[in-house]
Amino acid sequence: MAIASGGAAAPVTSKLQVSAGEIIVDNVSKSYGTGIFEKKVVKGCSFTIERNKLTVMIGPSGCGKSTLIKLLAGFEKPTTGNILLNGKPVTGPGRDRLVVFQESALFPWMTTYDNIMYGPIARGEADQKARDLAEFLLDKVGLRDFRSKYPTQLSGGMQRRAELARAMINNPEVMILDEPFRGLDAMSKELMWEYYSALFEESHRTNFFVTTDIDEALFLADRLIIMSNIPTRVRATIEVNIPRPRKLADFFTSERANEVKMTALSLLHEEAMKSFSGGSKAAADFVDSYARRSEQKA
Amino acid sequence: MEQVEQLLKRTLPFQVVSPETLGNIAGISQRETFSEGDVIYSAGQSANDVYVLASGRLHHAITPQVNAKIHEKSLNAGDVFGWAAIFEGERIRLADVSCTEPVEVLRIDGTKLLDLLRRDRNFGDAAMRSFSQLISQQYYLPPSVANRVPSTLAAPATTAEEPGEPAAQMASTWTLTMYRAGEWIRSPDPYLMMIGFMLLLGSWYLTVEVFKLPRFEDLPGLTTVVTEWFATDPMYGLSIHTSEYYQHVWVSIRRVAIAFLLATALGVPLGLFLGWSRTFREYVFPVFELLRPIPILAWVPLAIIMFTGSETPVIFLTFLASFFATALNTMLGVESIDESYTRAAYCLGANRWQVFREVIIPGAMPYVFTGLQISVGVAWFSLVAGEMVSGQYGLGYVINTSYTMVRYPTIIIGMVTLGIVGYATSAMVRVAGNYMMQWRLREMALGGR
Ligand SMILES: Nc1ncnc2c1ncn2[C@@H]1O[C@H](COP(=O)(O)OP(=O)(O)OP(=O)(O)O)[C@@H](O)[C@H]1O
Ligand SMILES: [Mg+2]
Repeated sequence: MAIASGGAAAPVTSKLQVSAGEIIVDNVSKSYGTGIFEKKVVKGCSFTIERNKLTVMIGPSGCGKSTLIKLLAGFEKPTTGNILLNGKPVTGPGRDRLVVFQESALFPWMTTYDNIMYGPIARGEADQKARDLAEFLLDKVGLRDFRSKYPTQLSGGMQRRAELARAMINNPEVMILDEPFRGLDAMSKELMWEYYSALFEESHRTNFFVTTDIDEALFLADRLIIMSNIPTRVRATIEVNIPRPRKLADFFTSERANEVKMTALSLLHEEAMKSFSGGSKAAADFVDSYARRSEQKA
Repeated sequence: MEQVEQLLKRTLPFQVVSPETLGNIAGISQRETFSEGDVIYSAGQSANDVYVLASGRLHHAITPQVNAKIHEKSLNAGDVFGWAAIFEGERIRLADVSCTEPVEVLRIDGTKLLDLLRRDRNFGDAAMRSFSQLISQQYYLPPSVANRVPSTLAAPATTAEEPGEPAAQMASTWTLTMYRAGEWIRSPDPYLMMIGFMLLLGSWYLTVEVFKLPRFEDLPGLTTVVTEWFATDPMYGLSIHTSEYYQHVWVSIRRVAIAFLLATALGVPLGLFLGWSRTFREYVFPVFELLRPIPILAWVPLAIIMFTGSETPVIFLTFLASFFATALNTMLGVESIDESYTRAAYCLGANRWQVFREVIIPGAMPYVFTGLQISVGVAWFSLVAGEMVSGQYGLGYVINTSYTMVRYPTIIIGMVTLGIVGYATSAMVRVAGNYMMQWRLREMALGGR
């Protein structure tokens, strides 16, 4: 198809008109329940998702990251504190923030192509431009041959790529992704990192990416936000300062990468240990898995 | 083996196949090494194996006789070559391949590979298509060459790209159906089914006509019923050769059809709204739950008082049970929809009404169709109850009057006919449902059905 081949050659910025937003999370807390049933999940959390940067948030499993994302998406309201998008408070879901939630949510009753076009169609913006963009994105995520397949006919990795495309077509000011590659095998995960970082490098849209995987965080991040255990708040922010484009082949051998990784790991260890002494099984597993990994590497 | 699978998974054609097929392909792959300068094959030789380059570099030169846009190319780890081994018809090498470095390759027998891909019902054709794509895009060969890779299910494929797709898909649906039918015949299922029928009929025949067991001897026997049913001049007035028989069948089917359509038209929307709107549910559901457990027979007097004539009360009774089944299943369907779908739709800019139309309705469909199948079943059930009490034609009426008039074989004819017609209508609903929900069917196919 003429559009697709033409699209691949043209610079992406012309296709994806990026207007990047900025989100400020200001002293946000969130509790569920009241009285003796009150459960504090987020407590006094402040950070900024900076314009044109890929900010990665990493924290122990169960610390409250997905809860934060629901707040950012506008599906829930903070108990106290404010969330500002480009200076305006967030009051509900909106197309300016596109959120890809942890659970895979491609509509099983639509083909890949219809899923990708859903956003523009729902908003009544399905013009030729949107269709061209869909073709372009199908190529970009390598699903052109699967455009008329249903999600259940795609592999896990393909589903995630389709979901990325479905989000990107809307040109959101901020893209928010909650562990989008969770549950993929190591090989497809690495492939996805490359896909995803290439997509980011072409557009430099504001991206917020949540994960529990330190290698993933490191490879993708411009800025790394490390979260404390539940009730969660920001433990540290690290400017990664590793130039782009990044290539997996030599990334993890670089000195800077290792330096950041060590700093991040020791902070995460501390957080995990805290709740381990509190008796959390999840945290114990978390520590174990990292201990095992670093042994293997040594 | 693990390593082989990982390597295969990185190549374009094998990326898409199911894990099982991938494992099988790994099973028929052989590792081989070559030294610098070795020639793996040359143009004109016969082509038996497909290769995947595991490490090192190769020089791939397509013979000038073939019309390629670019003839020479160097291959790196992960590249697939030797695809002439899966061509349809003559399999002759089209290129010279030599090693510019020491290399390691995986060698895969072409015929066996085709066989494995054919067996992968879900992704085999995608893998085949990737091969054609690979040939045209990475080796710059014209479609006449790329199209020589067969497509798995449909016989000769159109360039499996854009137009022509529906035709190809229809062909593959047809072949798939035929394939499944073939599988079924080859499986033990049909024979087990026959044994089941033979056991039923055999014990009927034996107990009634051969051994004449105490309470059984008054029952109509198998041979009596069959003779009566197919008689041109039936003793009790009802057989496949009498027009009354068809009139009864027709009247019953018409009543069920009207009741079923009404129940669907009212029950599905009611169920959707019950599931979707909290407030609506709070008003309506308690009433609904109170009426639902009342047996159909208990409604008979009211139905006769409320409706005039003989037709409407029967239709009302038939409608009632279907309606409850449909509405309840639809409501459960709406509740079963994962919240992540509605969340995603809102994120993508849909409004509440769009979410209802584009997420709630299709998401509830699998349950709706289960509900409809149940609903036809209970429609027949309550139809007979209604026809026994009121009404002038229909299979329930036949059974009831045959009893009072001591035409015992006709009772059985009515019963068996009910069974057959009831089964046929359920099957029709099921087929229609599956046809309308292809995605659901695929999901079940992948779930190992
Ligand atoms: N609606 C809710 N009501 C009560 N508690 C909740 C609710 N939602 C989340 N929680 C609690 O908040 C905590 C954090 O959950 P959350 O899903 O945000 O963690 P997470 O960091 O995303 O974990 P993971 O990495 O495993 O996805 C959990 O202990 C959970 O029990
Ligand atoms: Mg989470």
